[in-house]
Amino acid sequence: MGTLTLIVLLPLLGFLLNGVWGTALGGRAMGQRAVAIVGCVLPLLSFALALQACMQLARGGWAPIVETAYRWAQLGDSGFDVAFYLDRLSAVMLLVVTGVGSAIHVYSIGYMAQDKGFGRFFAYLNLFLFFMLLLVLGRSMLVLFVGWEGVGLASYLLIGFWFDDVANARAGKKAFVTNRVGDAGFLLGMFLLYQGLGTLEMDRINAAFAAGQAGMLPASLAGVLLFIGASGKSAQIPLHVWLPDAMAGPTPVSALIHAATMVTAGVYLVARLSGLYLHAPEASALIAAVGVATAFFAATIALVQTDIKKVLAYSTVSQLGFMFLALGVGAYGVAIFHLVTHAFFKACLFLGAGSVIHALHGEQDLRKMGGLARRIPVTFVTFAIATAAIAGIPPLAGFFSKDEILWFAFASARGGSPWLWAVAAATALMTAFYMFRLLWLAFLTPSRMARDVEARVHESPPSMTGVLVLLAALSAVGGFIAVPHFLEPQLALPPLHESLLAAEQPLLWISVALALAGLALAAALYAGRGERARRLAAALTTPHRWLLGKYYVDELYERVLGAPLVWLSDRVLLRVSDRLLIDGALHGATAIGRLGAALLGRLQTGSLQVYAWFVLIGIAGALWWGVRHV
Amino acid sequence: MIDALLANLDTLLLLALAIGALSGAALMIVLRQPMRVALALIATMVCLSGIFGLMGMHFAAAFQVLIYVGAVMVFMVFAIMLLEERDAGAARYSKLLLPGIVGLLLLLATLVGGVWRALPSPRGELSDAPLGMVKFSTAFLAEYWLHFELTSVLLVAAVVAAIAVIRIGRRGRGG
Amino acid sequence: MDRTQLLIGVALALFAIGLFGVVVRRNVLVMLMCLELMLNGVNLSLVTFAQHTGNAAGAVLVFLVFVVAAAEIALAIPIVVLLVRDRRTLDVGSYDELRG
Repeated sequence: MGTLTLIVLLPLLGFLLNGVWGTALGGRAMGQRAVAIVGCVLPLLSFALALQACMQLARGGWAPIVETAYRWAQLGDSGFDVAFYLDRLSAVMLLVVTGVGSAIHVYSIGYMAQDKGFGRFFAYLNLFLFFMLLLVLGRSMLVLFVGWEGVGLASYLLIGFWFDDVANARAGKKAFVTNRVGDAGFLLGMFLLYQGLGTLEMDRINAAFAAGQAGMLPASLAGVLLFIGASGKSAQIPLHVWLPDAMAGPTPVSALIHAATMVTAGVYLVARLSGLYLHAPEASALIAAVGVATAFFAATIALVQTDIKKVLAYSTVSQLGFMFLALGVGAYGVAIFHLVTHAFFKACLFLGAGSVIHALHGEQDLRKMGGLARRIPVTFVTFAIATAAIAGIPPLAGFFSKDEILWFAFASARGGSPWLWAVAAATALMTAFYMFRLLWLAFLTPSRMARDVEARVHESPPSMTGVLVLLAALSAVGGFIAVPHFLEPQLALPPLHESLLAAEQPLLWISVALALAGLALAAALYAGRGERARRLAAALTTPHRWLLGKYYVDELYERVLGAPLVWLSDRVLLRVSDRLLIDGALHGATAIGRLGAALLGRLQTGSLQVYAWFVLIGIAGALWWGVRHV
Repeated sequence: MIDALLANLDTLLLLALAIGALSGAALMIVLRQPMRVALALIATMVCLSGIFGLMGMHFAAAFQVLIYVGAVMVFMVFAIMLLEERDAGAARYSKLLLPGIVGLLLLLATLVGGVWRALPSPRGELSDAPLGMVKFSTAFLAEYWLHFELTSVLLVAAVVAAIAVIRIGRRGRGG
Repeated sequence: MDRTQLLIGVALALFAIGLFGVVVRRNVLVMLMCLELMLNGVNLSLVTFAQHTGNAAGAVLVFLVFVVAAAEIALAIPIVVLLVRDRRTLDVGSYDELRG
């Protein structure tokens, strides 16, 4: 068995072991410790093997490694294989997924220690990892799609992990259904590509486009359809509605799935098919527009949210928008760079939030926090580092990746424009502002905690704080891993407008200024008792209400889509076609049977003479027939 | 005239007996009281016995009178007498009279058309050769001996069943 | 028409009239007697054919029919007596437990 196949299968083994013997299904044969060991060692093993595979790739001169596991289906001369593919891009993703994934698994040991679904949790987490690895390493779009759907399933299971509360289950359902809407586009895009090129293997698709053999295939149409799928998975407008609701799941889930890995699958998909998108300028323009709009839109909502996890959720949507902006202007490597740094600091932020929630025994409302900097110092410091990283303060990781995006949005010859830059820059300012707002409200303002909660505040166990420290360190120095440069041989950076080259330095300083301005603004409004912030909110009631209500998008969807569907299902499908037609046909059939039985039953009069009469007629008939045919 | 009569006596007698049998049958349907119906049946049976005799099957004629009239009909008459008083003014025909007539006509049509017309051609008038006792006995005890034994079994079974019926009757009466 | 045809005609008529009587008459004892009439018709046809073809099988069968008829009537009448004792009526129309 090849290394890549083994990397994919180890988490699956973890799922099976924990899923059967770690849960009530197997009678909880494995205790919590055994579950934790199995659940964490296998992903760590995958990470080690991933490192080894990458070194092997390097030694081979970065020529892509292909491993075919087996032939899935044979159709005439051709067919579909289950094959794994390792090149520069998938190597980067692989290391992020296994590395950050393993870290979050370790964190979960401490976070979920008191939960009675401990075994189930680790089983689902391992399952998720398995599917994510299928997605990342798959050579064919079919294998990727299997992973795509699989992570959607794992996401559903984990969002609704505490399904005793119906709201959680509903959130899981919302995530899954919204994803499926996007998947319709994904499937159509796949069909188009298969019909046009006869293959679904992504390296061959890119090669076909590069060699100009795509011919009549409408690349932009395929590109748009695939982007619809990507926006479902990566929560772009208009399919972003599920991500904030997904915060109903345990915090490690939010960190792993809804920040670092699953939601980046859409970005990964577009980057993988860069060969296609280079020949689809309309699709790319759409991606950039939707990305920057989503980024701006989500950032405005994050400004006023009061739940610590919701702020981070909208922040994730916003940062994903940045990544798509980079993809849209042809800077594929830069988008992946931001993906990597985002994985570091966003995971750190979510896990830090989890640490806070753990310390406060379940409190998530920012209005009831404050004064935690001294009480839980490790959490505070790591959180602060990650906040600075996302705000774009140099020399932390977020500064490098975000600045690159802003630069290419401005100057790329493949669709960059000052407008894109302006909106993105405004979003960056807001990002810094709301993240520092979060930091102040949770940690640096005087305490607004409830008395009994405040008395029991405690720092998290080492299994949690250790991971936080690791991720904070990566957020700090991760910017120096020159990812775009590393990916350049595969994902070339776009050409730039000659006339704009001089603007690079000034724009750099503007980025720094924006980050610091956000910090200052937040401190000014929220330091102390937050009086100035309250007065501002009172002065701007209508905008405040709209932002707090998330622009009422959910309500709109309910009115326009949900209610008519329910009406259709009830009035037409239930009453007419199910009850009237199908049940009616069935009852009609039985009624006919019953009618026939009733009629025939009349023959049994019980009267001997009637029967004798039948004998008479019968003899006459039989004789007649017999004589005729003798 | 008398000579002609005497020459064809057999035929005339046969005809008369046939008519007698048919009249008896018809009377059975029409008469109201069961006792009279029984008498009509006895008449029919006696006529049949005569016909058997004219055919040369004298033993059959004897058995007809002995068994049918002498045992069966006497038993029937006893039963009628026992059960008579209950239904003095009962209806004669069931509600199936008209359908019955239709059926009867159909049956007669089929029988006549199918069976009667298709009978084999005549072999000569009034051949009188009797079958003969000897021939009958030989056949009965040689070729058809199994049937003979089975009849005795049947009769035993009938006797046993009759005793059982008496028992049931006694129990029903509370005795 | 020769003798055979005449007598067969009579036999068929007796049989048909007997069956008709079973269907039509209401009194249960009369029904039994019509059954006997049917048997007699059959006997007549058997005898006629036996004499016509010279085959002894017909004569043997006649004898067997006698035995069977006797056994049958020996049982049928007691059954009728028991039946009538319960219901107090000889009307066949009211014997309809097997209805439905």
